[in-house]
Amino acid sequence: MTTDVVTAAEPAAAPQVAGLSLRQLAWRRLKRDKAAMFAMWLLIFIFGTAILAPLITNLLGVNPYDFDLTVLDPSQGSLPAGAWGGISLEHPLGVEPLTGRDLLARLLFGARVSLLIAISAVAIIAIVGTTIGIVAGYKGGWIDTLIGRLTDLILAFPLILMLIALSPVLTQRLQAMGMSPEDSRVVYLIIVFAFFGWPYLARLIRGQVLSLREREFVEAAVASGAPTRRILFREVLPNLWAPIIVYVTISIPTIIASEAALSYLGVGIIEPTPSWGKMLADSVRYFAVVPTYLFIPGTALFIVVYAFNIFGDAVRDALDPRTGRNAR
Amino acid sequence: MTAYVIRRILIGLMILVLLSMAVFLLFDLLPADPAALTCGKNCTPEIIEINRVRLGLDLPLWQQYIEFVKGLFAGRTYGSGTAAFTCAAPCLGYSFRKGEEVTPLILEALPVTIYLAVGAFVVWITAGVLLGIFAALRRGRWQEKVTLGGALVGYSFPSFFIGLLLLFFVVIRWRLLPYPSYVPPTEDPVRFLQTMILPWITLALVFAAFYIRLTRNQMLETLSEDYIRTARSKGLPERTVIGKHGLRAGLTPIVTAAGLDLAGLLGGAIIVESVFSLPGLGRLAITSVLDSDLSIIVATVLVAGSFIVIANIVVDLLYAVIDPRVRLT
Amino acid sequence: MGKAINNGLRLAAVASAGALLLAACGGGSSESSSAAGSAGASAGAGDSGAAAADGGQKGGTITMLTNAEQWQHVDPQRMYTGADIAFFTGYTTRTLTQYKYAAGADGTQLVADLATDTGTANSDATQWSFTIRDGASFEDGTPVTCADVKYGVSRTFAQDVITDGPTYAISYLDIPKGDDGSSTYKGPYSTDAANDVASFDKAVTCSSDGKTITFNLNRSVADFNYTVTLPAFSPVPQAKDTGETYDDAVVSTGPYKISEYTKGQKMTLVRNENWDPASDDYHPAYPDEIDVLFAQDPAAIDQRLIADAPEDQATIAYGNLQPENLATVFTAGDPRFEGRTYNDYDPYVRYTAINTQLVPNLKQRQAIVACMNNAEYIAARGGDFAGDRADGVVKPTLPLDYAPTGLWDGMYGDTIPVEGNVELGKKLIAESGEPMKPLTYQFPTNPVDEKIAASMKSALARCDITVNLEPIEPGQYYGIVFDPKQAKELMRSGWAPDWLNASTILPELFGATGGFNLSQVQDDQFNAQVQDALNTLDRTEQGKKWQELNKYAAEQAWVIPHLFGKAQALWGSKIGNGYLWFPYGSLAFGDLYVMQ
Repeated sequence: MTTDVVTAAEPAAAPQVAGLSLRQLAWRRLKRDKAAMFAMWLLIFIFGTAILAPLITNLLGVNPYDFDLTVLDPSQGSLPAGAWGGISLEHPLGVEPLTGRDLLARLLFGARVSLLIAISAVAIIAIVGTTIGIVAGYKGGWIDTLIGRLTDLILAFPLILMLIALSPVLTQRLQAMGMSPEDSRVVYLIIVFAFFGWPYLARLIRGQVLSLREREFVEAAVASGAPTRRILFREVLPNLWAPIIVYVTISIPTIIASEAALSYLGVGIIEPTPSWGKMLADSVRYFAVVPTYLFIPGTALFIVVYAFNIFGDAVRDALDPRTGRNAR
Repeated sequence: MTAYVIRRILIGLMILVLLSMAVFLLFDLLPADPAALTCGKNCTPEIIEINRVRLGLDLPLWQQYIEFVKGLFAGRTYGSGTAAFTCAAPCLGYSFRKGEEVTPLILEALPVTIYLAVGAFVVWITAGVLLGIFAALRRGRWQEKVTLGGALVGYSFPSFFIGLLLLFFVVIRWRLLPYPSYVPPTEDPVRFLQTMILPWITLALVFAAFYIRLTRNQMLETLSEDYIRTARSKGLPERTVIGKHGLRAGLTPIVTAAGLDLAGLLGGAIIVESVFSLPGLGRLAITSVLDSDLSIIVATVLVAGSFIVIANIVVDLLYAVIDPRVRLT
Repeated sequence: MGKAINNGLRLAAVASAGALLLAACGGGSSESSSAAGSAGASAGAGDSGAAAADGGQKGGTITMLTNAEQWQHVDPQRMYTGADIAFFTGYTTRTLTQYKYAAGADGTQLVADLATDTGTANSDATQWSFTIRDGASFEDGTPVTCADVKYGVSRTFAQDVITDGPTYAISYLDIPKGDDGSSTYKGPYSTDAANDVASFDKAVTCSSDGKTITFNLNRSVADFNYTVTLPAFSPVPQAKDTGETYDDAVVSTGPYKISEYTKGQKMTLVRNENWDPASDDYHPAYPDEIDVLFAQDPAAIDQRLIADAPEDQATIAYGNLQPENLATVFTAGDPRFEGRTYNDYDPYVRYTAINTQLVPNLKQRQAIVACMNNAEYIAARGGDFAGDRADGVVKPTLPLDYAPTGLWDGMYGDTIPVEGNVELGKKLIAESGEPMKPLTYQFPTNPVDEKIAASMKSALARCDITVNLEPIEPGQYYGIVFDPKQAKELMRSGWAPDWLNASTILPELFGATGGFNLSQVQDDQFNAQVQDALNTLDRTEQGKKWQELNKYAAEQAWVIPHLFGKAQALWGSKIGNGYLWFPYGSLAFGDLYVMQ
């Protein structure tokens, strides 16, 4: 899988709608979409538990870092004692093999890390990608050529390979700047996902701007002598919300999944920081003996990615009803 | 048109040169001394210095780069005296950790990756585009919901998860296939297919999901365009409308994505190659990274990057052929 | 599982460092040991090699699966990983002496292979002679002479080309050292006129009939005949030597030769027609062919062996079982695995080195040892399968050199239970007279070592010691921790002796010339005692001195001892003679056969 972020290209350009603003219209449509609403509440719930994780684990009397050897069976090679991966009242989702750390606590704290990385990276991508895309598309000329070559260059890097290859280089540089190794991995992941992510959005936006430039309402604005800034913000940008929002909502799950993939390959988040990708990577080895260990973070990851994808789809449909499932 | 093609190729070459420079620069930032990585426990500063000279690491970075480029086109010689040896062009470097020239390593791994990528590509493009059109034509009906729903589920699974699930159930539980163990198709075609079928399915599942969605969205997008409506109103048969007008215009992003995805995979499908123990470029790359084998990392990044650059050129040229709306700028 | 991806550092150390290419690979299971040998190193006993012809059957193909992409080295002078030595000495590389093919303690018995006996020493063991057997030849039919052995030994001196191998030839042979401590002889490739070939020719002599090779040593080495079990002392034909690339073109002397070697894919060994069984009592040479499949996923290797499908029944694995499968395989009374596993002590001691240059305060080092939670360590390494808590760097499997050090029984002022003694730790820090600085723990990234790092961090936090974690890509690990500028306070490590003598442990780990002195110890008193021990020719007396030094090392808290390790392996049901061959901590590859 080398295409995670590439695959997010979804072109859409909505026309201005009279009366209600685009946003109001979209929200109305979105509210009618039951699956999207469910996905949205689910995501809110996930975000909520992630934010409140320390509170929840305190209430349950568990934490993601402490080893608990009493719940492991040494004669079984330190597998969780008892069936279902050691699920019990004290450990509602069971415990981690070899350490006895509580899986619920690690899942909740892991959500914080995964979401932090994905959202930070996407925020950078959105800002940088949109700005550069608009500049390239609207200004054209040598600026467009330069940006085009730069994005070409970055896109020519084999993504996952670069993420892996750069890991030692960048994390050790970050540590040399005084960052702890755990933090340096998180920052590293944010930086590389953002760095290799923005060109896709910039290209997408540039394409949109190019075609918008040709449209009547923009041409009309240009003809009326409106200043560039006004055209960009009033006429062009509002028509870009759709692709940006769609790109953002579907980038988050791809980044979460990529983080998991990097951890699977051994270059992602490191101990003792909990991370879903790391848990999954670890649990893969226990597939045959402790299947719950794989299925719990696997299902959690799948649900989050799936919810984001449903929501992203619905947002896209709502913003651009022509291609929606209720079209015509 | 010819001028455009030539310019596009020249730009591609320029990007390749820039890419190779960027890679050299990036890995020069590695904190560990690459010369120190060439010898083991008995390392004395003296030996490190000798190896530094043998590797050409004593030269300034730009000179190392020139040496590398020279090796690529004319070959180069490492070391001196009786222990010297020549690395013939195209020389992508020499791995002191593996004790081997890099070019043959890449050439050994490349076919595996090509079989994997192309096989999966055929499956996912066929399935993705056909199901995508199907979904678009059945929009609003349950068939569309099932297709899209299934695609979304497939798309939401991490690829290594699918691969491992397949491996676990098909091979370990149900014993439908022997354990994947790569053999070249020329040696044992049956074993080759038995090994490759699951990796193909894994990759295809993940990618097809995306292409179903993409194709369906593109179809709907273009079908609502004015010229399609015009074509319809002219009374052209639906098949012509969809095949000739709808699909053709809608193909642009599909071709783009397909070209880039295929190129990306040719640079090594790292995760799938890892899950199924396929000795392809991706596996070569990850083992070299964990091994800090710089010369191989640089070479794999360059080879993988070249595929992407070439794919970009091809895609851009196809763009111009397929979509009449695109201006050749 | 997996290869030793280190920078050619030796042994155990290498072991778990390397290995884990993929997250799916199990941590501690990656072992590359170095040799270990027999205890009672009686000089020059004429015990002729004896093939363990215990009902083995000829024929068939043995398939070996490995996670590694390739052999670290096939070149005998560069090979220094236990299982690799066990493999190649079993098939292609004849050494002067070797260990007997047998399970348990018998496996540490020295026997002759290429030599007619296990060597003859002079009275003070400064001169050793070995006679080459009649009929021994290279795969092209050329007879093996002592000149070939001499040439092989000379290659070790070319330290710029022949990297990663053991350097006993350099430290033992009577050749002058230059001002920088390196040998004045620079190996056969040097074109430098100052190259001291004359000294080498004096130190290693070859009789005129080409049969007897004599090594003149710079000091007494009572068990030098164990040293020559290392392939570094095996013959190489000068005419076929290609230096750096000889790794890919090794000329066999054993019952098999390499017919194919494609890195990342496959190696095939087939019978060597020019090997004369009459010249070799050591190799049983049962199978017709040995296939090595590289780059196999570790989880997949285990699953194939567990499933034992018909096509996998003559299959073995390079390395140990993944920890997650131990419970499955070692469930008592499961007939599926009967007779095709071992679960036994390997040659390794696992420990964490404490950098004495960065933690010079003895009390603080002792505090670190006292605070360590070895219960969590053992759990993370697989509970009952991990082994026993270590009390020093010498393992009880070296009966002459081991005595309990008493480290945990009040050596630091109070007993230390396996969970650690927090009060004692805090008290020692208070007594140290200076505040405890934050420490950094360096370890190679792999699933098990990461968990241990997490444990280390929380265990030492109990004594208010801050530990920062510094994971390092396995391939860079030794490059970084052996660089004094980059080495931090705590470093993951492990060690196995090169043969059963603590002379290959204590001086290596803490001595002035030690090759593996991660703790960066500079202790003149210790060095003097090491010299004294080395000069003691009576093996039992020498053992007592090692016991004292091991205890001294524990008192000085140069390392946190963790584990006297165990190893577990599984093989296909049609493989015969599967057992843990103690010297190398692996299967005795050369003794395996396929049940027909």
